[in-house]
Amino acid sequence: MQKYPKLATCCLGLICLIAFASARAEALAMEKVADGVYVHHGVHEELDEGYHGDICNIGFIVGKKGVAVVDSGGSYRVGMQLREAIRKVTDLPILYVINTHVHPDHIFGNAAFKADQPIFVGHAKLADAMELRKETYLRNNQAWLGEAFAGSEMIKPALAVASKQELDLGERTLSLQAWPPAHTSADLTVLDQKTGTLWTGDLLFVERTPSMDGDTLSWLKIIPDLEKLPAQLAIPGHGAVTKEWQAAMEKEKHYFEILLADIRSNIKQGISMEKTMETAAAGERTQWVLFDSVNRRNVNILYPKLEWE
Amino acid sequence: MGLKHQAALGLAGIVAALYSAAAAAEASTALWPALQETFFAGKTIEKADFIKLEGPARAESGAQVPITLTVDKPLDAADAIRKVYIIVDANPIPLAATYQFTPLNGKAQISTRVRMETDSFIHAVGETADGKFYMTALPIRAAGGCGGPVDGDEKAIRAASGKIKVNVDKPVKFGEANPATLMIKHPMFTGLQRDLVSGGYRPAFYMQKLDLSYNGKPVMHIDFGVGTSEDPYVRFFYQPEGPGTLDVKAIDNEGKEFEQHTEVAG
Repeated sequence: MQKYPKLATCCLGLICLIAFASARAEALAMEKVADGVYVHHGVHEELDEGYHGDICNIGFIVGKKGVAVVDSGGSYRVGMQLREAIRKVTDLPILYVINTHVHPDHIFGNAAFKADQPIFVGHAKLADAMELRKETYLRNNQAWLGEAFAGSEMIKPALAVASKQELDLGERTLSLQAWPPAHTSADLTVLDQKTGTLWTGDLLFVERTPSMDGDTLSWLKIIPDLEKLPAQLAIPGHGAVTKEWQAAMEKEKHYFEILLADIRSNIKQGISMEKTMETAAAGERTQWVLFDSVNRRNVNILYPKLEWE
Repeated sequence: MGLKHQAALGLAGIVAALYSAAAAAEASTALWPALQETFFAGKTIEKADFIKLEGPARAESGAQVPITLTVDKPLDAADAIRKVYIIVDANPIPLAATYQFTPLNGKAQISTRVRMETDSFIHAVGETADGKFYMTALPIRAAGGCGGPVDGDEKAIRAASGKIKVNVDKPVKFGEANPATLMIKHPMFTGLQRDLVSGGYRPAFYMQKLDLSYNGKPVMHIDFGVGTSEDPYVRFFYQPEGPGTLDVKAIDNEGKEFEQHTEVAG
């Protein structure tokens, strides 16, 4: 019989916690999609239901001088796992951490790279977008992820890209481009000139139903410009890496056009937003993952705006 | 893997389970007693089946949560419900709106859209002409509707605010309750949204009061709060005895007045 069972349990718990915290993060599974270009595929999960902070494509590009991270995942923990994956490939310094946009699944791993002192890079409007959403994002992600959100921080870009920017990784140049409002108010693409690999951020969704937050009408307008980028391969924000990326862009565009047409037609006929959430773009249902929830949310966002056209 | 490490993972699992239980927290019943004391001090409020609220179990967007309120009782009855309070328990500013009905509504039903900051009950509290109170409550899961980002230029937003659109469903049937839709262009700033220019919060700016009348006779009065969504939307009923004009008069919290007139023919 132990004399101080409670105290002993507490101490054991504390020792265990320390042991756990000091253990190295387990490296994320990566896919090498081109020479020096590595992607981790998150799973298609909702944010507010069963979210684990790992739902989008994140990864890194290795040059002769160093590494650029493209999106850091939804938590410090996922960022640390990405960092571990980088260290399995190279010991070169991490020079840049690029955020393609403000959404929490793409940015909350930034803090994992603080010790590497990289230059954080984003769209010129990203810092404002982060500041405006800071309180809500921190509160919601804390609620969704709990302990798994520990250590996560919102780190703003030090290098703001207003239109175009080149980054030199050593015998490898990345072309960054800032876009007008589309998926969000501050979307950035990254093109690796060496392999012709394009990181689209969430300007392209593959498999997962495209979600909307910025300006969908403006998004539709820039799709032709995106399709003209000199890329052989695209890494979408979510879903499989594809060589047929222009076709994937067209598929996304097709969904937007059908959704907009259905909502506009229903508004004209006086059919309510609630009913429209059930029926709009129904023919696209089999084409996408998480369609029921994301498509409903898209209607919820678009309908009140289109009522004022 | 060492024994200590396994034990650590086990403990982490328990911690994670505890936190995920907290993350799945739903609308709380704990907020209502204090709210009832604030809004209806000393009153008895009876739960009533004839007041109905409909809305999504899980809101797709906390910024625009569609709800429908129905009071299943004639508006010309002696104990008719004259006024309904819509209260979102967990919002920083819980009172989203009050609706005052008259027999000229024909039917006490409105559909509107409210902001929800987090998972919450919505209470609809009805008051009779002789001061009796009845209520119903609906739980909805939602996030982030009150402090969310404001995009766009404030000057342009202000310049566009106050435009009113009324769509009356056709054909209009005289002597019956007819549906119509009221839409107001207005940002409905909550006072809880960040302002990067001042470094603080954007002051509340919202449509505050609205009167609907038909041929000069009052139909409905609405007091809006910032819990009513941007570009307020209200689908309502009115009962015209013959052709006439449906008039809207509204005033925002800065005292600016707006009007709109809709001809109603058979």
